[in-house]
Amino acid sequence: MKIKKSQNESQLIIALEGRLDTLTAPQLEAELNASLDEIAELVFDFKDLEYISSAGLRVLLSAHKAMAKKGSMKVTNVREEVMEVFELTGFSDILTIE
Amino acid sequence: MSNVILKQADGTPVIGLIGRIDSNNAPAVEAEIQQALGSTERDELVIDAEELEYISSAGLRVILHLRKTHKELSIINVKPEVYEVLDMTGFTEMMPVRKAYRQVSIEGCEVIGKGANGTLYRIDKDNVVKVYHDADALEDIQHERETARLALVLGIPTAISYDVVRVGDSYGSVFEFLNARSFSKLIAEEPDKLDWCVQEYVELLKKIHDTRVKKGALPDMRDTALGWAKFMKDYLPEAYGDKLLRLFEAVPEDLHMIHGDYHTKNLVLQNDEVLLIDMDTLAVGNRIFELGSMFNAYIGFSEMDHEEVKRFQGFDQETANVFWRKSLELYLGTTDEEKIREVEDKARIVGYTRMIRRSIRRHGLEIEAKRIEIDHWKAELMDLLDRYDTLLFSVNELTVEAKKENLQQVIDFVDERLEKTECPMKAEMQIDMAVEEIFVNIASYAYANEDRIGKAVIRVETLEDPLRVVLTFMDNGMPYDPLAKEDPDVTLSADQREIGGLGIFLVKNTMDDVAYEYKDGKNILTIRKNL
Repeated sequence: MKIKKSQNESQLIIALEGRLDTLTAPQLEAELNASLDEIAELVFDFKDLEYISSAGLRVLLSAHKAMAKKGSMKVTNVREEVMEVFELTGFSDILTIE
Repeated sequence: MSNVILKQADGTPVIGLIGRIDSNNAPAVEAEIQQALGSTERDELVIDAEELEYISSAGLRVILHLRKTHKELSIINVKPEVYEVLDMTGFTEMMPVRKAYRQVSIEGCEVIGKGANGTLYRIDKDNVVKVYHDADALEDIQHERETARLALVLGIPTAISYDVVRVGDSYGSVFEFLNARSFSKLIAEEPDKLDWCVQEYVELLKKIHDTRVKKGALPDMRDTALGWAKFMKDYLPEAYGDKLLRLFEAVPEDLHMIHGDYHTKNLVLQNDEVLLIDMDTLAVGNRIFELGSMFNAYIGFSEMDHEEVKRFQGFDQETANVFWRKSLELYLGTTDEEKIREVEDKARIVGYTRMIRRSIRRHGLEIEAKRIEIDHWKAELMDLLDRYDTLLFSVNELTVEAKKENLQQVIDFVDERLEKTECPMKAEMQIDMAVEEIFVNIASYAYANEDRIGKAVIRVETLEDPLRVVLTFMDNGMPYDPLAKEDPDVTLSADQREIGGLGIFLVKNTMDDVAYEYKDGKNILTIRKNL
């Protein structure tokens, strides 16, 4: 999985490419732990995210909880395959998806 | 001068036709033939056209008349000019017509290879001829040509002979000269290419074994192998002979292709292309028969005399061991010692059976050195027969250490098998997800209370009517039923949601069936996805 970051003052956009699974989720988790301090608006760009498993969902959920306290988080450009997983797990009701 | 000669009277009559046959002499020729044949009422009749220079439509009518009383009429040794006429008039479709074989001389030609059934000569810049040792090899040659053609059509890269010729009193097949090196040579000359050779070797092997052949198109290896097992009954204690035969009989009929002599001398690299040669042993059957002959090529034949492999393959025993071992690992998709041992042992049962029979048939039991060898193989074989109750093994099963780092290997293994079925993209992704969730569960919890890293076994089966994939996960860890856990409430808000518990929930909701049982000290989780 590739992680691309772009920051604009307190807005952070994270674009993921590839698979967010057991093996790659820790990578994203570490990235978020290191970057969220100054951030008020977190945006995920999932245009090139092909796959997500429960390990990925867990990272999204804890990011969501962390951002809820100090700002907002949204997920954009979600592909059909990933959207199905969100819907099945109720994440589509929790996350702000655009 | 007569245009007719009776070349053979006993059995199938053979009539030789000589010179020109046209409207001038056709009636006389016909009368002569009738006289030569006498009152024979056989269906078979062979017309030998070796000395026939020309035939007109009147001559062709003579043949048609003959065919009325001899329904199995065939024409052999037909010169090119005559063949053209027979072809144009449709005779080649009405009856078997065989061309005359071109004579090729091998005097002074370089010998470029020697095989079990023939010697390879280079006859000019572009061509080689394989001269068969057996003078009656015509049927074998035709068989090899047909099998090679069949393999090529089914996508197996191979060299095909384009002509059959006479070489003195023998037959030969002509091939295009390949500027190629065998894998044996490659490995001997460039040892660092060994891993690459293993890859190509196994990839092609898998392709062969995944190729289904129409029933009857190739010989059935099972029949041949049953012959070996029956032969062995006279040379083994009764109980062992019976068990050996039982094991062979229990191998089910299988219409997948096997090469039958798959070793590094029979794979060649030409430019960048890997070609399989020596197609005369091509057959269908269970893959264990292939592995048996592979074991012999690298280990079995040279077990008592390591120089033998050097003479045969051109590389030493240690290299042969490494090549065999790595090929098995890659073929089975595992480095698990137990699994590899199991498959190798089953291959040895087939291998020893074959070698003992071969040695007895070639040398009898009179030669001391050969007898010692046979006794050694027999002892090994009997030991194996004590330990195994089947020759079958699964290639749809992967055994790995249950740790997260192996997830990718597990997913690759599953995907490789899914791609052989017509598994839609979406289903494949859902299956991947299920595999990940379950394997990671096993890796995280099954052996959590133990110091060691235990094993996980993943089996993939594709079943038909309706098309479905069944995956089975097994581990020897503490009994744990992941399905017993209550589903997470997916309607809760983020604050109330627990982190975790989603994995199995996803599996349950994307698969068509999920079942758990604890049996014989094993956690067994089975999932089914209908395609």
